[in-house]
Amino acid sequence: MGVMRIGHISIRVLDMDAALKHYENVLGLTRTHEDSEGNVYLKCWDEWDKYSLVLNESEKAGMNHIAYKVENDSDLDVFKQRIADYGVDVEEVAGGYLECTGRALKLNLPSGHEFYLYAEKEFVGKAVGVTNPDPWPDGVKGAAVHWLDHALLICELDPEKGINKVAENVKFLQDALDFYLGEQVMVGPDGDIIAAAWMFRSSTPHDIAFVGGERMGFHHCAFFLDEWNDVLKAADIMAKNRVKIDVTPQRHGITRGYTIYFFDPSGNRNETFAGLGYLAQPDMPVITWTEDELWRGIFYHTGEEAGQFTDVYT
Amino acid sequence: MVETKKNVRYIINIENTGETYESADGEHLLVGMVKLGRKGIPSGCHGGGCGVCKIKVKNGKYRKLTLSREHVSKEEESQGFSLACRTIPESDIRLSAVGQFKKVVTKSYGFV
Repeated sequence: MGVMRIGHISIRVLDMDAALKHYENVLGLTRTHEDSEGNVYLKCWDEWDKYSLVLNESEKAGMNHIAYKVENDSDLDVFKQRIADYGVDVEEVAGGYLECTGRALKLNLPSGHEFYLYAEKEFVGKAVGVTNPDPWPDGVKGAAVHWLDHALLICELDPEKGINKVAENVKFLQDALDFYLGEQVMVGPDGDIIAAAWMFRSSTPHDIAFVGGERMGFHHCAFFLDEWNDVLKAADIMAKNRVKIDVTPQRHGITRGYTIYFFDPSGNRNETFAGLGYLAQPDMPVITWTEDELWRGIFYHTGEEAGQFTDVYT
Repeated sequence: MVETKKNVRYIINIENTGETYESADGEHLLVGMVKLGRKGIPSGCHGGGCGVCKIKVKNGKYRKLTLSREHVSKEEESQGFSLACRTIPESDIRLSAVGQFKKVVTKSYGFV
């Protein structure tokens, strides 16, 4: 019972051809489906469901929605009730409303981001199969990312007006959907305002993250790589392809991940995230970063703010 | 002999900061600025999505790549507003930077 993992993310791109070159050739996803409206669906080689990324050509960049997969179809009935009891509007949509996907619950997080839960999606299989598989497949392009790992959403934060959508999202995901809080950034004169949160359902440090900002937005979606050498090679591939890199390879204090931040051709931020970080468990004590060390948490080596990191998002 | 690109270069003048730099033909306005370590226009996603490099072109010819309507409306576009990362100069350009990063010192609560 419960939410298993991030299922997919639907993002808006300004130019579909440019976006496909980026996600196929630089990151190494493969196209698995196209719907009647021209939206393109892609998966990573190590994923088994039909898609984890939806590209939607639009005149604005950003995120349309994010979806998480639950273990059993009956979980949807339980969550529908719990979400309604919590006081958040929730709608059940029929199978096929999300392409190649079973019935789903559609809602908006307290921050406003569109969010789905579903239990079934068409099965495709890993590129290496399941019988005596090789550790990695031949012919995967670019950085050959393994899977969509997590996303970070910007949530409105204005403590002087009493607005904290990070806090509201954390409480909702804990109380209604059984997410666990892994790490948090606490700010303000008394250090009692939560300005960022990393939450998990799987055993990795985060399946979703929230950072406070001026308006609701999409900060990044991250794709998994095994280890540090893969991160270096991914950065080489980005440079070869003249991808705009935001933050060169380094380590996060928060989650301990090895990271590169970069932008797709429409300005949506991507991350390649490597390393387990640590084993996240329901009884793990919450890790707190204080305001004076929050940039150490984000960029561990320099400990310095990179101005474009939290002010630039779609 | 190694062939190097001998591109036409245009002079870009950022009116509100007084900075000037050269931009190569065929490259968007942020490429030359960032390559030379120059500042004056906030540099963000370089994809037309985030809007921090919003400019108003006061003078000069340019062509534009696709940009997000979230940050520049059609009406604004007709008035000379654009995003620097979507603007390719075709002559010398005089512009003012409209988009700004929030100054760190004005952030009272970590990220805001």
